[in-house]
Amino acid sequence: MKIKEIEGESFVTLIPVGDLDANSSIEMDECMERQLNSGVVNFHIDGSELQYISSAGLGVFISHLEEIEQKEGKIVFSGLSQNVQDVFQLLGLDQIVEIFPSSSDVPNLFATS
Amino acid sequence: MKPSIQVTCTKANLSAIRHFVKEQLEAMAVAEKTAHQIVLAVDEACANCMIHSHQCDNCSVIEVELYRDTSTVYVEIRDSGKAFPMNEYRPREIEDIIRRRAKGGMGIFLINRIMDKIEIEEKAQFAVYRFAKRLNGQPLPPSQGIKTA
Repeated sequence: MKIKEIEGESFVTLIPVGDLDANSSIEMDECMERQLNSGVVNFHIDGSELQYISSAGLGVFISHLEEIEQKEGKIVFSGLSQNVQDVFQLLGLDQIVEIFPSSSDVPNLFATS
Repeated sequence: MKPSIQVTCTKANLSAIRHFVKEQLEAMAVAEKTAHQIVLAVDEACANCMIHSHQCDNCSVIEVELYRDTSTVYVEIRDSGKAFPMNEYRPREIEDIIRRRAKGGMGIFLINRIMDKIEIEEKAQFAVYRFAKRLNGQPLPPSQGIKTA
């Protein structure tokens, strides 16, 4: 798996490419940690190139939700395939985080934050 | 002889297991959504075996085999490690997992959500995990065990 990182003015877009599983989740976790430690609190996870996610992959995002909320930040997802969305639904995460159909549907959520 | 895959217990091999399971389910003409859920459940179970039973020891081996009858897909995972009671797992609420900032604890929950029946056979030298997934939406009769490979 590769992770593309696009720095915005008030948020960062992370684009995981490939499979996010128990093997590759460490890389994603390190990426999130690094961004949080550098002061980023707003995340857009663009899932348009994400082929597969397991609970370990989702666990990376879940484990940082509380910290992001405490720092008054936000994490949103976009472009998830049906199979990836299915995992969010099985875990009930689709009721907790915002998911947009594609990255162009992500409104300027972070402009005033 | 039913098709199977044997891999060593390194997490990099999870993708090979997923690829094998996906291919088998395609050959069995299982609908895509159900197939993806079975792939996910097998991936979660194998990740648990590799991490918790074998500490990702590259000398240990697990084997995965799939078979089906008219209405059910069966999965058998043979593991040379100590069995863990994944069928006795009581899930936490997702809100609790978020509060605890936990990275794990959801894999066995997913297996239990996806599979219709889970059986574990523990022997002196190995453990066998058997899963059944119904394809017709009907539950397995409670008294019916999982067919063995």
